[in-house]
Amino acid sequence: MTENIVTAPNMLADAPPGTLSARDFHSGATPIWCPGCGDYGVLSALEDALATYGRPPHEVVLVSGIGCSSRLPAYTSCYGFHGVHGRALPFAAGVKLARPDLEVIAVGGDGDGYSIGGNHFIHACRRDLDMVYLVMDNRVYGMTKGQPSPTTEPDWDSDIAPGGIGLRPFDPLALALAAGATFVARGFSAQPHDLATVIVEAIRWPGFAFIEVLSPCVAFRREEFDWKASVHPVKQTIENDRAAAHAAILADDGFGLGVVFRDYRRLKPAPEPQRVTLAEIESEFRIGA
Amino acid sequence: MGRSSLAIVFAGSGGAGAMTAGELFLRAAATAGYYGSMNRLFGPQVRGGESAALLQISNLPITCQPDNFDLFVALDWHKVDQFAAEIPLTENSIILADPQSGPVPQNVARSKARIVSFKMGDPEATPLERALHGKHTNVFAAGAVGCLAGIDPAKMRAALSTVLGSKAADVQRLNAASLEKGAAAAATLALDLDLAPPKPAPRWLLTGNQAIAMGSLRGGVRFVSCYPITPATDLVEWLAPRLQQLGGKLVLAEDELAAINMVLGASFGGVPAMTVTSGPGLSLMVEAIGLAVAAEVPAVIIDVMRSGPSTGIPSKTEQSDVNLAIYGGHGDAPRIVLAPTSVRDCLFTGEWAVYLAESLQTPVIVLSDQALGQAHQVIDPKPDRPPPLARRIELPASKFKRYATDSDPVTAMPPPGTPHGQWVGEGLTHNEFGIPVSGAAAHAAQLNKRARKLAQFDPGAWWGDVWGDGDTAILTFGSGAGAALEAAVALGAAGSPTRVVALRVLSPLPLAALATSLKGARRIIVMEQNQGAQLYHHLLAHNAIPPTADSMARPGPLPFRRAEIIARLAAQV
Ligand SMILES: Cc1ncc(C[n+]2csc(CCOP(=O)(O)OP(=O)(O)O)c2C)c(N)n1
Ligand code: SF4
Repeated sequence: MTENIVTAPNMLADAPPGTLSARDFHSGATPIWCPGCGDYGVLSALEDALATYGRPPHEVVLVSGIGCSSRLPAYTSCYGFHGVHGRALPFAAGVKLARPDLEVIAVGGDGDGYSIGGNHFIHACRRDLDMVYLVMDNRVYGMTKGQPSPTTEPDWDSDIAPGGIGLRPFDPLALALAAGATFVARGFSAQPHDLATVIVEAIRWPGFAFIEVLSPCVAFRREEFDWKASVHPVKQTIENDRAAAHAAILADDGFGLGVVFRDYRRLKPAPEPQRVTLAEIESEFRIGA
Repeated sequence: MGRSSLAIVFAGSGGAGAMTAGELFLRAAATAGYYGSMNRLFGPQVRGGESAALLQISNLPITCQPDNFDLFVALDWHKVDQFAAEIPLTENSIILADPQSGPVPQNVARSKARIVSFKMGDPEATPLERALHGKHTNVFAAGAVGCLAGIDPAKMRAALSTVLGSKAADVQRLNAASLEKGAAAAATLALDLDLAPPKPAPRWLLTGNQAIAMGSLRGGVRFVSCYPITPATDLVEWLAPRLQQLGGKLVLAEDELAAINMVLGASFGGVPAMTVTSGPGLSLMVEAIGLAVAAEVPAVIIDVMRSGPSTGIPSKTEQSDVNLAIYGGHGDAPRIVLAPTSVRDCLFTGEWAVYLAESLQTPVIVLSDQALGQAHQVIDPKPDRPPPLARRIELPASKFKRYATDSDPVTAMPPPGTPHGQWVGEGLTHNEFGIPVSGAAAHAAQLNKRARKLAQFDPGAWWGDVWGDGDTAILTFGSGAGAALEAAVALGAAGSPTRVVALRVLSPLPLAALATSLKGARRIIVMEQNQGAQLYHHLLAHNAIPPTADSMARPGPLPFRRAEIIARLAAQV
């Protein structure tokens, strides 16, 4: 397999300063989010990032599943699709494969992306299409009013799991690495400026760029506002060495912010097939006189 | 003189090559100018198990399996008798078997068919040659049957080289020799099996699955996402390279949930898109089909039905997904459900499905079945095609409301990239702009918008096919149509004119056209291959048939045959 690996061009150079502002990406619709919800910070970071990146709103498609966080597409002025719970990634893959010219960004929550949509997450990492996946992880199912998700601490008390769910949460970054993701980052909704910088880099990344965003739920997990005190920049961005990235992520306390891993190595694409016409295909069926 | 038709089975254990013999013979007969059809039977093994090729060659188009087979060629007897129920023989049938294969099994011998002992394989081959190159029993047998049926030996040779494809020269040569030896050995048999001379004409040889795939390509499908499932996989395997050669994309999804959502994404992107599956996969897609209805996204979903429920019998036919296709899902989610009426019609219906999905911005489910999908058939080429219909994408002069309810219910859906056309596809109940709302009025308005789209859909003459005007009417769909038609022809010849009505549009029911087609019928019998009489109850619920109509519903996997239908009609007075 190694001889099949090529190196992707460095796409991280700064784009020329654009003429768009964050406001151009704002739809004006009033979010249904609780005042203080972390998702507001993510929305403003995303709008900033899109303005910096510079493609107009009609060339961007935002795709989501179901959950509080999944309401985000309608709050922007981009094309969008608010589909069913857990299926944002396959829908987004369909858009990107059919229309490589578009900028495709999938967004959602930890329940949407890691639980009901967990299988798609793994395969999106592996498929490595040129798109961004932004997960607003509040370690709870917000929309359904406070049940534990795959990233919730084992002892977090809730109505549905009194005393705690008693299961080890998984680390989405480690999962993404194991599944072959080539760009893995973590952001924090209360630091929208830094988050916007990471999002711009993710959009420019020529492959699947995964950003896990710590985004507190004010309604069910007030204690998450203490994350402000816990977050810190990652020690370094690891390049190409997947094993080292694994080790770094497992050693981290889960609050390291920034780009954790970039993998410039790419599989060679399959050769372009020779073109045929419909009539040529039909002629295969022909038989007899 | 010769016979007008001949029904033949090649059967044998894994490695015996029954399918190759069948394909070779069918291709040779087709090239010579006969119509023909071949269905395949497999044992439970994943690979290399026993199998049988069921063929019929005729001077008339063939649309269903024969009542009985005239000739059973046993390449060996290893476990082949398990197919006995699916290979009806009579005392007029002939069994050609090599005495070295042992006695004819009880199950098969019970038919009292005449057993003709026939040494298969090259008597001159040395043991080393056999070990190196196999015995070519299948090609030998095909050569023998070609001779018995009177097929031009040059056509047999040409078909052999097509079937062997790029095999090495020595393999080609040894097989060609086996073909000649089989023909020579059969020349000594006097079995009276030869066919009347053929009437050559330009024809096509293809499977129902290939025909649907071709139809979808003609209709403009350029994105396919799917997950493998029998008996739909061969459709996609045929389609994959060709779609890519047309500049389209084929994605192997991680599951059917992904497959259908990718299709919706591609379609949202503006590219006609399709997924292909069978019952278990369709079950998984149901939620997203409701999404396609609510968000108004075109999608074509091909369901090649197999026996269910659950995993059922993967390789065998049934028509038991009618309820799932028409009603599957929560909420009021009407969609279009079509069924091809023959292998030939798969081309038309496959193409039409794309146009309907695109022009009405709705999911269209095409219910094929294993018996249609995996039948290899010789057909008259199908030049007639449905008129192309396209998606509405141009922005209105007034303010753009993606889900406007005060206009034509088919509203513009500009693809992303269109300036000033931004909209958000929405599965939640939404207002005219697509913003989620939960009021009663908006809910009703959008449900009505979508209902109006289907209400104004006029299938025209393509709602179904009608043959004859007898006072008994068999109302059926899919692979049932061919068998009903053959029964009707026989009944008509025997003085009981019988008409056949095959629905191409199962939902929304074409009520007016159906009523016209049934006018004057004194007996109506709804024939379908499932235990619960799903189509019958669908028709009754919509008053599409009178309460006096009768139901002929039974589960698969055995195909409907002419004799069964005639007996059932005789029993009902
Ligand atoms: C198939 C299906 N199952 C369950 C639900 C109910 N549901 C809606 S949102 C949600 C969880 C959302 O949690 P998350 O993705 O973490 O988003 P958040 O609301 O926390 O932003 C669930 C279970 C649904 N809409 N669809
Ligand atoms: S419930 Fe939690 S996640 Fe949902 S909007 Fe309120 S704060 Fe945000």
